[in-house]
Amino acid sequence: MAEKPIQGERKAFLTGNEVVAYAAVAGEADIMYGYPITPQNEIMHYWTRMAPKYGKRFLQTEDELSAGFTTLGGVLSGAKAFTATAGPGNTLMQEPMSMAEMMRIPAVFVIQQRGGPSTATVIYSQQEVTMTTYGGNGEGFRVVYSTATHQDLFDYTIKAFNTAWKYRFPTFVLGDGYQAKMRESVTIYDPQARGIELIKPTPYLGKPGSIGKDREVTHMRNTYNTEEELYEVVMSMAKEYDSVAPEIVEFDAREVDDAEIVIVSHGVVSRAALSAMLELRGAGYKVGYFRPVTLRPFPGDQLRKVADNAKRLLVVESALGQFNKLVQTNIYGSAATIDTIFKPGVGVTSEEIVAKIKATL
Amino acid sequence: MSVAPRMPKCWREESKPHKFCPGCGHGLVLKALGEAIDELGIQDKVVFGADIGCSLLAWDFFNCDTVQTHHGRTTPVVTGVKRANPDLVCIAYMGDGGGYAIGSQHLFNAAARNERILAVLVNNTQYGMTGGQMAPTTLPGQKTETSPYGRDIEQAGYPTQGPEAVAAITQDGAYVARGTVANLRQLKGFLKKALENQMAGNGFSFVEALSTCPTNWRTNAAKTWEFVEKEMTKYFKVGEIKAPGQKKEA
Amino acid sequence: MQRLVEAYIGEYASGKSENAINRAIELARQGRKVTLVDLDLVEPFYTLRPIQDELRQLGIDVVAWETRNTMGLGEAGNILKPEMKWVLRREGDIIMDIGYGVEGAKTLNLVEGALTDPDLKVFAVINVSRPMTFSIPDIIEHVQGMGLVQGLLNNTHLGDDTTADVIEAGAEVVAEAARLLNLPVVATSVDERLAAHFPGGVDRLGHPVRILRRFMPKAFW
Repeated sequence: MAEKPIQGERKAFLTGNEVVAYAAVAGEADIMYGYPITPQNEIMHYWTRMAPKYGKRFLQTEDELSAGFTTLGGVLSGAKAFTATAGPGNTLMQEPMSMAEMMRIPAVFVIQQRGGPSTATVIYSQQEVTMTTYGGNGEGFRVVYSTATHQDLFDYTIKAFNTAWKYRFPTFVLGDGYQAKMRESVTIYDPQARGIELIKPTPYLGKPGSIGKDREVTHMRNTYNTEEELYEVVMSMAKEYDSVAPEIVEFDAREVDDAEIVIVSHGVVSRAALSAMLELRGAGYKVGYFRPVTLRPFPGDQLRKVADNAKRLLVVESALGQFNKLVQTNIYGSAATIDTIFKPGVGVTSEEIVAKIKATL
Repeated sequence: MSVAPRMPKCWREESKPHKFCPGCGHGLVLKALGEAIDELGIQDKVVFGADIGCSLLAWDFFNCDTVQTHHGRTTPVVTGVKRANPDLVCIAYMGDGGGYAIGSQHLFNAAARNERILAVLVNNTQYGMTGGQMAPTTLPGQKTETSPYGRDIEQAGYPTQGPEAVAAITQDGAYVARGTVANLRQLKGFLKKALENQMAGNGFSFVEALSTCPTNWRTNAAKTWEFVEKEMTKYFKVGEIKAPGQKKEA
Repeated sequence: MQRLVEAYIGEYASGKSENAINRAIELARQGRKVTLVDLDLVEPFYTLRPIQDELRQLGIDVVAWETRNTMGLGEAGNILKPEMKWVLRREGDIIMDIGYGVEGAKTLNLVEGALTDPDLKVFAVINVSRPMTFSIPDIIEHVQGMGLVQGLLNNTHLGDDTTADVIEAGAEVVAEAARLLNLPVVATSVDERLAAHFPGGVDRLGHPVRILRRFMPKAFW
């Protein structure tokens, strides 16, 4: 059996879904559970192509509820387990995700957003932001990385396993149908060769040894009897989430110091935003760029400073304001005004952003 | 084989007396299961999954590693555990609502894939924990809070024949039986065989246990036993339905 | 005139469509009658569907679905168009773009008469920058897994990061794999942006160079 799919590092030409599969193998995931849905299928196609070569396992389940819950089972037994889904599958998977939140199960979920509501399109959107950050009957105790490039997909899929197992919050790689299917070159690497330490998983259930002699028995639950009891649980979780959030938060801010307007976007849209900013800067416009990499936890303090400074934001997204809700909530109290480009389920080009800014400045 | 009056060794003393109603069959099913675990000496290797419904009261019942899950989702959680660590002995414990209604796709697909797990389903003909609503197993004519004039088979169909359905879709290697709390020795035998079947890696194991719910049936002890032994067995035949090596019934 | 029937098969994202399109255009420019067929049955993205009108204007007959005639692409599955099944009954050259999938060249079973057509040539498109075909043993395993293959086409590139060296290095790997498989290398494909690096119309190993004009970035959906 080959030990590693990637020795050292190498440039490769890949689709985003393949990148996720290679990153999961490179990040030493043990098992994937999944159910087919476009546009995430090639994650399963490539994971299953590699699985026997590298001693990995795969289970195709009967639906996304099962894919999510079997993933949790895999994690409970001490495996690095993950699943991938999109759109209506993400909707179904909110149930297991909420259990992962409540029970601090470090499962990794890869979401390739597609058009919504309902079946809509299999193509692309950023309409799963609200659901992925705050879905289920919960409080959003999750970590969500919104990727923009194939390199991000590789880097953050590996990182997601580490984040999940370090902090024990379910962790999401939020991509989209464009990223899933786009082809571009990417540097794939063995994380250990780059000095990235991969956290070793430990079992929650079925640990070795004899109960009462070598180890304690484990009883895990997500049900509580009283309001007070639940309140304690949720508030202690909130406290812990808030205390680690500053370590987890990631963002990319460029040219914001003297900016009169800052383009705020995430995911693949931030590629258009970045080129728009560079073009406008080249033409002498004082434009900045801010991209939260983590949507949960959100880089709220950082963005508020930028907003206070620039006094104007242009929020751009392929949804009807889901990302903007996060922005507004997080900069509440700032005097900055917000312009928007909302294109639910449709891509955004840098030309549109440039035109909008030229028209408003 | 006999059922001893004492607690099974793998029961958790700290959580006893248990929280099931007086006369509830769950305690009996869990006793039979506990003794089967003891006899096989597998306490340290068991991962027990407890569903929602009255089953969830079993979440701290055993001195075995346990995870309480969501309604209907115990089968996939336990499947996920087993797939990632096949050395463990995995048990999904659920009621008739969890197994035959909200989680039926999971139960039947786990069966079809011949997952090496044991699903134990307690059939007490209604939803106990939510206050006695109609379940897939409610008998024709039986009154519940959502079938106040009795289950109308025109409207609600006949009771689900779970083990028969599972037997029909499993391959050789599966073990399927229906026991009853009215014959605990037999039920323990079924559960033990089912666990051995999993440990041998043969295939899916499924045991339905006919059980009692005097609280929601509003029955005294005599009527409770009469209902289990006379009424339920009209629709639910007790016995082994499938075992590895047995020929399929024609 | 000898009729040409060529099928381009290969791994996911190996460049089958781009090579099939450019081959069809090249033949049409020579005044030949050419039909290009989209037989991608797995992947609803990056197919000929969105660019077929543009290709028709270049003098190629294209057999592919029109998006407006489909419903829920990727949701309902990719459907074989009846014209595709009978495409070999057409006159002139037939260039088939076969999608990826574990069944490889078996997709040709769906085209009536393909596997018994004496003119059929099946070429495997190889991009050595794709991890599944990084190495010579990988390529050999991959090509042998696809069934009928009569030649390899070196399509090594890294998208916008491609250099002439990347292409030449790929040619060496593909040539060695081809030698071990006892197959010819039919060509090396080169993005038109890098054409100047191949002035003799051949790569360093002497394989003929096919200049690629990139259509597929426009074919995203």
